[in-house]
Amino acid sequence: MNRAFYSVLISFALMFCDIGGAHADQLVTDLSQHQISIRSNFTGTDILIFGAIEAEDPNDFATDRDVIVVISGPEGAVTVRRKDRIAGIWVNYDAVTFERVPAFYAVASTRPLARIASMDTRTIEGLGLEQIGYGGATGSGPTGAVTELTDQERATFSAALLRNKERAGLYRTEPSGVAFLGRSLFRATIAIPANVPNGLYTAKVYLISDGAVIDAASAPLYVVKSGIERAIHGFANEKPFLYGIFAVIFATFAGWAAALIFKD
Amino acid sequence: MFQIYLPIAELPVNVFLILGMGAAVGFLSGMFGVGGGFLMTPLLIFTGIPPVVAVATQANQTVASSISGVVAHWRRGAVDFKMGGVLLIGGIIGAFTGVYLFRYVRELGQVDLMISLSYVLFLGVIGSLMLNEGVRAVLAVRSGRSAKLADRAHHSWVHGLPLRMRFHRSKLYISAIPPVVIGLFVGILVAIMGVSGGFIMVPAMIYLLRMPTNVVIGTSLFQIIFVTGLVTILHSVENQSVDVLLAFLLLLGGVVGAQFGARAGQKLRGEQLRALLGFIVLAVALRLGFDLVVEPADLYSLTTVAAP
Repeated sequence: MNRAFYSVLISFALMFCDIGGAHADQLVTDLSQHQISIRSNFTGTDILIFGAIEAEDPNDFATDRDVIVVISGPEGAVTVRRKDRIAGIWVNYDAVTFERVPAFYAVASTRPLARIASMDTRTIEGLGLEQIGYGGATGSGPTGAVTELTDQERATFSAALLRNKERAGLYRTEPSGVAFLGRSLFRATIAIPANVPNGLYTAKVYLISDGAVIDAASAPLYVVKSGIERAIHGFANEKPFLYGIFAVIFATFAGWAAALIFKD
Repeated sequence: MFQIYLPIAELPVNVFLILGMGAAVGFLSGMFGVGGGFLMTPLLIFTGIPPVVAVATQANQTVASSISGVVAHWRRGAVDFKMGGVLLIGGIIGAFTGVYLFRYVRELGQVDLMISLSYVLFLGVIGSLMLNEGVRAVLAVRSGRSAKLADRAHHSWVHGLPLRMRFHRSKLYISAIPPVVIGLFVGILVAIMGVSGGFIMVPAMIYLLRMPTNVVIGTSLFQIIFVTGLVTILHSVENQSVDVLLAFLLLLGGVVGAQFGARAGQKLRGEQLRALLGFIVLAVALRLGFDLVVEPADLYSLTTVAAP
């Protein structure tokens, strides 16, 4: 019993030593900012991700290393609706709800992803737009009743989800968005559009060699409304009844003031 | 530059575009003496504001424009408060019905369709009637005959109903049922379309209730303040979709536009005004109808499901 346990432990230790021995390169990264504040003048911003590869052997001039940067943000359920023509009018008909859809996903890399990482690596790590997992899916008919979902339908709807997200600028790829400055320094700029939702995002950097991930580092990125935007949004969501009354009182004074100013 | 981020609609818009839209619609509403919500809500939707936010915000903005409008009528004594109160009873029931219907249809994913269909239907019918009547009146004036006016002395079936009440200001002794029903119907329209409902309320008061025309506008505005106010609160509670910043910008443009519109309106003749307004209303209905009939570029659309 004891012996078996130790042998497993030792074999694990050997495994890690093996990896460490072959590729001890490590990533050191950071972001230009860890918080994006949405104020009334917010029209989108750029996030700079930079870092260095610390090679185990300082004389290692290997050039086959690649870096992939992924920024993805708050996951939530999304319903994809399909329109159908009923009595000459285009009407939302059936729908599929995906459980865990990132609201935002941007991937930048030194070279096109397919040339850097193997299909397996990309699928496991979720690298690339086609590799984003959307979680469980539920189909529903025109009345909202749950319907059976075939694999083919799921694929059609998830392709539509991707297409819509890309059109909105919320999913994007930049196949040459990561640039090396010299041998070990790299930098990437990812544009954050104005229509990103609030929440916790993750910036993840992958170091790739020979088609496999040899190191990864991640950092949180918060997108928060601030100033008057935060005040109004928070008020509307936390105290909707009071907010409604406030909106009416505000409109009452504004209308009354207008009547006084423009009295004939 | 000049972009402002709207906290509830959650997107940036050009300040001058919104102010300009407010001014343009304000100009028309000052010119024709209408609320203008039926033009503003579709315009907001064309700009990319989510329909749910457009409807609720427009209801909020209508509170302000109705108050600034009612002051002048109130000073002239042209408000029948008793009739307004009876209409309001129906309006309150209608507002609740409308907002809960709105929420239910929103959960089914058909709210955009409901808003568009309501607009196409009501604007199409009202616009056709107005255009028809306006063009006839213009032709009648040209050929030297006077336009036929509604015969107020004539009694209609409305006057045979029970629960009769006396409305001194309107010089009427009629059943309370028709005003309550009219108020209820308009209340539902306010909730699902974000309009003041004046385009239904005013003709109904003149042709169905036979109220004197001088108290019609003031009374309609008086009761609509409370109905749109209630709809604003209910939409805020049920859908969190009232954007006060957007409402403020629309109002700012609107009050200025309305002053110029009122002056321009005095230079046009009544029948020309009706024909022109009918034409504008019909154009908006056709534009919305066109979007429903033409195959969309992408049949699929996304909705973020709110966290429970």
